[in-house]
Amino acid sequence: MNTEAQNQPTLMIDVDTCQPGCGLVDVQNVDADVIAALRRSGQPNHLLESVLRVRVVGAELTGSEKLPDVFGRRQISENGVRFFPHFPFEPGVVYRATFDTRPLGRTEVSELLKLEFSLPKPRSALLTEVQRIFPSSDCLPENLLRFYVVFSNSMQRGRAEAEIVLLGPDGEPAPDTLYRAPVELWDRGMRCLTILLDPGRLKRGVGPNRQLGPPLRAGQVYTLVVGAGMLDSSGRRLGKTFYKHFRVTEAVREHIAVERWKIVPPVTKSRQPLVLMFPRALDRALIADTIRIASTDGQLIDGRVVIDQCERRLSFIPTSSWAAGSYHVRVAPSLEDVCGNNVEAAFERPLRSASDLPYEASVRSIGFHLP
Amino acid sequence: MTNTLVSGRASRRDILRIAATSTVGIALSGPLLAETANVFAAVTSSGPLRSAGVLTFGPDNVLFVGDITGAAVHAFALRDKDLTPQTGVELGNFRNFEGRDFVRGLDQKLAALLGTTYDKIVVNDMVVHQPTEQIFLSVERGRGADALPAIVKVNHGELEVFELDGIPHSQVRIPNEPDQKAMLEFDTQRSFAITDVKYYKGEIFVTGVSNQRFASTLHRIPYPFNSQMATSTVEIWHPVHGEFETRAPIIRQLIREVHGEPYLFAVYGCTPLVRFPLASLKDGTHVRGDVIGELGYGSNPLDMLTFTDPFDQKEYLLVTIDSRAASRIAVFDLVTSKAEPTGGPIDFGPGGLGKTQGLLPIRAEHLAVLNSKWAVQVWRHPKTGYRLDISSLALPYCFERRDGMSEMNWPDGPDPFHYRDHRNEIDYVGRLVS
Repeated sequence: MNTEAQNQPTLMIDVDTCQPGCGLVDVQNVDADVIAALRRSGQPNHLLESVLRVRVVGAELTGSEKLPDVFGRRQISENGVRFFPHFPFEPGVVYRATFDTRPLGRTEVSELLKLEFSLPKPRSALLTEVQRIFPSSDCLPENLLRFYVVFSNSMQRGRAEAEIVLLGPDGEPAPDTLYRAPVELWDRGMRCLTILLDPGRLKRGVGPNRQLGPPLRAGQVYTLVVGAGMLDSSGRRLGKTFYKHFRVTEAVREHIAVERWKIVPPVTKSRQPLVLMFPRALDRALIADTIRIASTDGQLIDGRVVIDQCERRLSFIPTSSWAAGSYHVRVAPSLEDVCGNNVEAAFERPLRSASDLPYEASVRSIGFHLP
Repeated sequence: MTNTLVSGRASRRDILRIAATSTVGIALSGPLLAETANVFAAVTSSGPLRSAGVLTFGPDNVLFVGDITGAAVHAFALRDKDLTPQTGVELGNFRNFEGRDFVRGLDQKLAALLGTTYDKIVVNDMVVHQPTEQIFLSVERGRGADALPAIVKVNHGELEVFELDGIPHSQVRIPNEPDQKAMLEFDTQRSFAITDVKYYKGEIFVTGVSNQRFASTLHRIPYPFNSQMATSTVEIWHPVHGEFETRAPIIRQLIREVHGEPYLFAVYGCTPLVRFPLASLKDGTHVRGDVIGELGYGSNPLDMLTFTDPFDQKEYLLVTIDSRAASRIAVFDLVTSKAEPTGGPIDFGPGGLGKTQGLLPIRAEHLAVLNSKWAVQVWRHPKTGYRLDISSLALPYCFERRDGMSEMNWPDGPDPFHYRDHRNEIDYVGRLVS
């Protein structure tokens, strides 16, 4: 058994495995004189900062520029000092912690400690892939506004412009068709990315439309490609490239006529779904967000929604069985179709004469009755 | 690697006792001892921020921060001790178009400071505090859903992480969808990318892009924030050719008073530059503005600011654009230019509003005005793939002589502009030569 003196200082990385990445650098068994000198040194404690340091290993600037130490908080205890990084240590990054009492004028070799460490990156065995792309249909209108690309895992931002491409009928990238958003349009969990077609080209008469024409042409076949270079949250590429081929049909330039929806009411006292069928595909994200079922007294009915048939059918399965009575399907005016036409108006609506108009936020309602 | 176990101590932490040698460490596996479990609660500290995006200053040293992940705009009331006048920082030689580097290798230094590698650093915005001329940056470490935000200050060339705990703070949730009774919109996957926040006379104006709805919503929110306040939501549409009106997210906005009247200028994602009298932006309305120009396809506006030309003392709008040169337009022309005529073509240059436009070869990723003669930029060094620098740029042309190689730069080269005669006229923060 090693009989190293018990009063020599030790430098360790202390990691909370319950919270990945949370760690601190801990020096123990520090000589009492050192502790006292560090305590005397007032705030901000530059002496302590020079005695206990943590740096990222690997990157160094050329020339005379020096890189700063990892920013964090230091704590002096009875027999040691600790460093808490401002941001958790990042798995995979190599750090070097040093404890060095020479700034205090001391010359003990045992007080010269260095530790290089890195925290392991947790990795799942499966590679991330594109799960699906909405709209689901492979026939899309000429004035299609957006795609939703859904990944099997949370992703990193930054690669969409390089990796997501629309190929034209000739199989070559169709330039200036996809909108380069100022920020990539991810959802909260960063699993769903919204890709817009260039609205400047979609809008008839606006500059890019006059110069380049619309992004898609009816009758042609296009392919949306999501390249495998997209990175997931652990920094890995996708398992494979994903292709969505589609044919382009005529443009749709009218509002969503809720009154033309078909309702298939359920049987009273059952838990059968209420089924809504839409004459044309609606926006997958907004359907879930804008359609609710309520009883006549305004109470929302609890239930689960299933959207299928290429976003043309919604089935609402209630949590409890349907009581007899009157119900309403309530539709918020912000519901859009795949071209950005909403319940209020088409994407491009005719110019109205007044220059300011009341905000039409009224909810549309379709009634049905269960005897 | 030396692993030592001192007898009598059963702690698993002892696995990593290392003395005087370096080694690659290993993480412990297994539960942590109870005595240190509570220590980790204090590890991360970005205050109330969940992400750090657009920045703007309001009155009384209030710093507004757009927080997309937290779906909020924060207001931090900076105290005197949070600000350091940058007096004495060397700005450069204005007459000779020579700026100075304030920070070289910004991304590498931020990476070192925040414990990561340079590729994980994203600088979202830069703002300058007046009158200290101190530069503030909004930064994120990481590009995923768990990215960590920080506000970083530049202090005489050094980077300081701005600790937000303890700073007087308030916030407002954004977006604030119009109240729709019985329409519980609880989809947690909706997100709103705040693209711009501006303060004007007791209100903040917030624009952004939803990942779902294609909307033109502008939020007007009184500041100071309070729970009783009513926020205004205005849909601001733009006309097209006298034939259509359409909506689109607004990417950049600017509020300017001209002849005593305040106007909002908005750059839309689909390219038009549109003007609204501020008074027309009333709660609960659809308002159509006047299109006075277009940015051109494939372009994203990066920064939109105004400055006074030190030579002609006129005010100019400057819009930096990611795919081409910046545009400079006299503010007076912005207000007086005719709206797009019905049926006619509209141009952002070379025709239409662009007749008075200048094109400036600015490559800044972020740009802000420092003082009457100088701007400051964050830009990517052309010779390396990753180095970001912060440096000064002389107004009004934002031309940097170091960027171009010419024979005049050689010590014994020709000097038709008499650069050598003026080489000692250096401006400093707090001390401008002229």
